[in-house]
Amino acid sequence: MNILVILRMVPDAAGELLLTGDGLGIDREWLDFQLNDFDDHALEDAILLKEATGAKVTVIAIGEGTNRILQMAAARGADEVIALPCEEDELLSSRDLAATVVDLARARSADLVVCGVQSSEDLFGQLAPYVGAMLDWPHISGTNRIEASGGGLHVTQERGAGVSVTYEVVLPAVLGVQTATKAPRYVSGSKLREASKTPIGRGERQASSFTLSASIEGLRIPEETGSAQQLGDDAETVAERIVAILESNGIGRR
Amino acid sequence: MKIYACTEGRSGQVDAVSLEMIAAARSLARDGDDVIAFFAGSAAADAAGKFGTADRLVAAIAPEADIVVAGTYARQLCDVIAAEGAGIVVVPYSANGLDVASSVAARLDWPLVSYVEKIARDGQSLSVVAQLYGGKVLADCSVPLPAVLMVNPGAFAEATATPLSPERIDTIDIAELVAASRVRPISIDLPDFSDVDLKAAERIVCVGRGIGDEASIDLARDLAALLGAEIAGSRPVVDNGWLPKLRQVGKSGQKVKPKLYMALGVSGAPEHLEGMGQSDMIIAVNTDPKAPIFNVAHYGATCDLFELMSSLSERLQPSDT
Repeated sequence: MNILVILRMVPDAAGELLLTGDGLGIDREWLDFQLNDFDDHALEDAILLKEATGAKVTVIAIGEGTNRILQMAAARGADEVIALPCEEDELLSSRDLAATVVDLARARSADLVVCGVQSSEDLFGQLAPYVGAMLDWPHISGTNRIEASGGGLHVTQERGAGVSVTYEVVLPAVLGVQTATKAPRYVSGSKLREASKTPIGRGERQASSFTLSASIEGLRIPEETGSAQQLGDDAETVAERIVAILESNGIGRR
Repeated sequence: MKIYACTEGRSGQVDAVSLEMIAAARSLARDGDDVIAFFAGSAAADAAGKFGTADRLVAAIAPEADIVVAGTYARQLCDVIAAEGAGIVVVPYSANGLDVASSVAARLDWPLVSYVEKIARDGQSLSVVAQLYGGKVLADCSVPLPAVLMVNPGAFAEATATPLSPERIDTIDIAELVAASRVRPISIDLPDFSDVDLKAAERIVCVGRGIGDEASIDLARDLAALLGAEIAGSRPVVDNGWLPKLRQVGKSGQKVKPKLYMALGVSGAPEHLEGMGQSDMIIAVNTDPKAPIFNVAHYGATCDLFELMSSLSERLQPSDT
């Protein structure tokens, strides 16, 4: 089985996001970039499948800081790692990226493409279903368990409200991973140092095969509705106030 | 112009978000437009009983299909659109919708905007407000028609559930298409709420990524016990295996509406807010004063989480006297 994994570096949205002067993008100069969390889980599922079946895992990565992430992927067990170029300040549109992934999936005779179910920049659609539809392969988004079974896979998908559905999937296929079958593994420093010698291949981007999706007229930071009454930043004071609030609402201690 | 509202369900039943999609489609319709509900499943009776605010229902039915997989759903919808034409397709942001929206957009080569909060029709295009970066940024987009929109749950109030007269229902047999799919559902796991049912809980203490590590959850658990509350977690906490799936609040977990919801170290991603935003009283503690959880919380604090949990637990200890 040949598995292709896509890793996307995205701005760390846990911190404050500022807009560029023209209001059409976010100011990336001081931003930290991190691996899209769902892609991390997709990588783990690929490595677990490799351990179970002897599959070959090729990892491609795009965005700010890909070398570091590709070394981490090699340390976790990827057989080949490839960096894709990207423009500075580029919003990583999954719609645009899909053509490149399709091209690589064909060139590498992939049987399975795995990526995170979503990314924080997939405003114009999600990667797995785009790639699946373009290749005319089955695609399932929101997986939380992937297991090899016969020549195919058993894949479990979360459907919300605690309901999950398990599918039998005939390969080739594309999966959008929400949660890996097991939590992503820890990589030791020595493994990382060893993997730092892994050669990183350079891939090419393909032009998007779709018409323009939509134009962004402007970005804005949502207004803080400020509905929360602030209780402060001192733990003792906050605790005292919370107890008073609970008691005055008849929901004090039990 | 035909406006399609993608609806969802399983075992012949429709999900509530379906009525939100019909409302979204209706809000865009002008005189002479048709709002068409599209449903795929084992039976159309529930859809026919509820989708009366649509002009028509196109029901793609395979009697044996408890769940119609998204690929088959999208393929059939594209066939209907190829035959009848369409100007707008609205799809819910759900597990199924994630696959359907991009698949339909790819197959038709139509524009698509995801995570849509607001839509206004403006001549031959749409003005759309959509979320980026987990709701931390809003994008104002101009979308040429025809187009697909993936709409956030809660962005539109549900349309009234009224029956649709039989002459406005078209049924398509998709048994062959279902049989030909390379994806086949083999089992459905329904949650067992006998141990814990967050939906029934009056008080919930929910921990998020800010809790830091598994050991710290014990502090939150002690606090929950003192409050007579159920302990719950956001997705990252459950993904790490620190709490069982049944205790997850949010889009892929449970939707709850307790009297007290205490969010500890929860940032408030849109997917989490979808599951708890209607709680009677929300108290949120997060060291990031910009965390979106404060936009839905009634009370907020930015103090140290662990000092607060200790202090609060101490104050809530039953007195000996």
